[in-house]
Amino acid sequence: MLVKIKSVANVGLETTAIEVEVDVASQGFPGFNIVGLASKAVEEARERVKTAITNSGFDFPPKKITVNLAPADIPKDGAAYDLPIAVGILAASAQCSEKSTQGAIFFGELSLDGSLRHTKGVLLVGLYAKNNAIYVPIESANEAAVVDNVTVYPVRNLRELVDHFQDIKKIEPLKHIEIQELVIDANFEVDLVDVAGQEQAKRALTIAAAGGHNLLMFGPPGTGKTMLAKGMAGILPPLSSLEALEVTRIYSVAGLLDSGESLVRRRPYRHPHHGVSPAGMVGGGSNPLPGEVSLSHLGVLFLDEMAEFPRSVLESLRQPMEDGTVSIVRASAHVSYPASFTLLAAVNPCPCGYLGHPRRECKCTDKMIRKYRSRISGPILDRIDLHVHVPAVEIEKLDSSAVGQSSLNIRNQVILVRKIQEIRFKDEKIYTNSQMGNKHVKKYCELMPDAQRILKLAVEKFDLSARSYFRLIKVSRTIADLDNCDKILVNHMAEALQYRQQI
Amino acid sequence: MSNFNPKYKLYYQGEWDESLFAKCMTIVGSRRMTDYGRRVIEKIVPQLVQAGWTIVSGFMYGVDRAVHEATLACGGRTIAVLGWGVNWQKLDDRELKLEEEIVNSGGLLVSLWEEQVPTLWTFPARDRVMAAIGHELIVIEAGVKSGSLITAEMAYKLKKPIWAVPGPITSSVSLGTNQLIADGKAKIYQYHPLGPPLKLRGGNPQEGEILDLISDQGLDVSEIARRLGRPASDIGSELTMLMLRGDVEEREGKYFVVK
Repeated sequence: MLVKIKSVANVGLETTAIEVEVDVASQGFPGFNIVGLASKAVEEARERVKTAITNSGFDFPPKKITVNLAPADIPKDGAAYDLPIAVGILAASAQCSEKSTQGAIFFGELSLDGSLRHTKGVLLVGLYAKNNAIYVPIESANEAAVVDNVTVYPVRNLRELVDHFQDIKKIEPLKHIEIQELVIDANFEVDLVDVAGQEQAKRALTIAAAGGHNLLMFGPPGTGKTMLAKGMAGILPPLSSLEALEVTRIYSVAGLLDSGESLVRRRPYRHPHHGVSPAGMVGGGSNPLPGEVSLSHLGVLFLDEMAEFPRSVLESLRQPMEDGTVSIVRASAHVSYPASFTLLAAVNPCPCGYLGHPRRECKCTDKMIRKYRSRISGPILDRIDLHVHVPAVEIEKLDSSAVGQSSLNIRNQVILVRKIQEIRFKDEKIYTNSQMGNKHVKKYCELMPDAQRILKLAVEKFDLSARSYFRLIKVSRTIADLDNCDKILVNHMAEALQYRQQI
Repeated sequence: MSNFNPKYKLYYQGEWDESLFAKCMTIVGSRRMTDYGRRVIEKIVPQLVQAGWTIVSGFMYGVDRAVHEATLACGGRTIAVLGWGVNWQKLDDRELKLEEEIVNSGGLLVSLWEEQVPTLWTFPARDRVMAAIGHELIVIEAGVKSGSLITAEMAYKLKKPIWAVPGPITSSVSLGTNQLIADGKAKIYQYHPLGPPLKLRGGNPQEGEILDLISDQGLDVSEIARRLGRPASDIGSELTMLMLRGDVEEREGKYFVVK
């Protein structure tokens, strides 16, 4: 008897329908074969399915069983076909009603005892299913419950599923989960009020968070660069429902959602170690998985000790920084992942780290310093809007009574400025000041004559390129927004010039 | 060149001018110059140039190069005594540019050799030449075992006046200079500010306040903001204005008053 069960394949963030055809022949030598460009993980489904069916107290038919995953030309990977294959076999051998399995999508990995395991990509299944029912592992079911108009059946094990189909005991579909209720309002792992001094760097972080600008901090070791970067997570605005879904899609595909978790609740903050490979950074693998740039989509990518990253890894950031997406091309697949992140980088001023330190002398030669600085290429620096010094602080000099702003305070400013930008760019396809192209700059950045004059002066004095000219205007736009000022005044431009490129 | 009778030939690049050697001040110091060393150079070199000295130094990065650059910046003439042959061409862009500027401004590049590659023994030989050309010697920052002390030793043997700039006893690049003073081989170099220390050029009281604060030490934006009790954003924009006007300059994140 032939049974067709619906399932899906996720290639990147694209979901395609897969039909799992299971034939249990009445004649022929007993056997169990899977065809249809199945990878090793899918091949091994044979053993898992066979054992799971037996251990759940069903009969595994001693007949010739053929499974075809159609269309046969799409490569299939992962263990998520276990469930549709098992259901197909049970239906084809008349151990559960075939009719009730039709129309629904099955997706999930089986354990040998017949229970279902946490499977990656369930959110994408839910998004794809639209108006259909889906049967997915109970541990991952919450992911799909945030999608509207989908009936999500959380399946604990094969036995319960068959009871459900045989109307012995129904599985309760999951209740719809409202996204906005799940989003965590803020994440104050490090409150900026706890970072001693460094008012200028904190100001730069505020500007970066408000306008989505990339930020480079440089200064000697131990001055709080890493702590400041951690504080950045706490001043970012909360995710909107749409954004949360977008981020969760990526995490679901990467299998990084914890079991039972339905959503990425806060803006991503990723800080890969400098040993990361190019594939780890932008994504890769034969069935390409998202890399760090995509995992920090709509959030922050923090590169500590940026000059220690291999050149190839840093250069691979250029395309995503420009386009906000990353395309990964492999022999078997061509995949695009979104990668619109704010880059936060920290570097030492020289290899030993103490150049310009008030008390310790630098032990580096001139050549070493230049070589160290040349590791970060011009094109990358060119894409970083804000450059700020994080100098050594003499702790004993710090006045504990002079308290800076708390992260919560800063965050409220950031949220306001984001709102201003939302309104400004409602007819454009951009969200933040940093994304403005030259034509947007002309349209939305009105410089007062004074501001224009000092910008011209600065271009001459500091030898600025045309690109940094526009960058400065964009930064001054954000500074003016923080001041709730429609036009860019001279003091806004003067402050923006503080953050010009210096290495 | 009455007091300078070389046993060896000297090679040079640039326009030979006897008057260059009439009144020479050799300034040497460590390759590992600190912020303090740079400040000292920027304070004393313009005064020396104004007093008509030709500034002699060793073209190495650190103090030597800062001395050449400071001399050129205030329109003085300088003689660079190279630790390698005059025609040795393995210099990088920045060094070549400095060479060119020294020659263009009427200074000289001098060396004992024509094609010699720099190596361990060429530098002490160069130190000797520097000591011989200069009528007096200033040591700005020097470690305990350094070429600057070799120059000082040579100058001492040649009975030339030696000055040393004292530094903090905790700084390893002040050990040598402090030692010279302690041994009585060098006198403390006294710095006399010219004229009234600083006239406030700020366009408004806020800018004047900032200039006052950084008149004798470089500070970073956060520090200035903290001391004045004002937001870093305002201080930043005022500093930019002062910088564009040429009243202050920035190095490695710190702001200094220009002279």
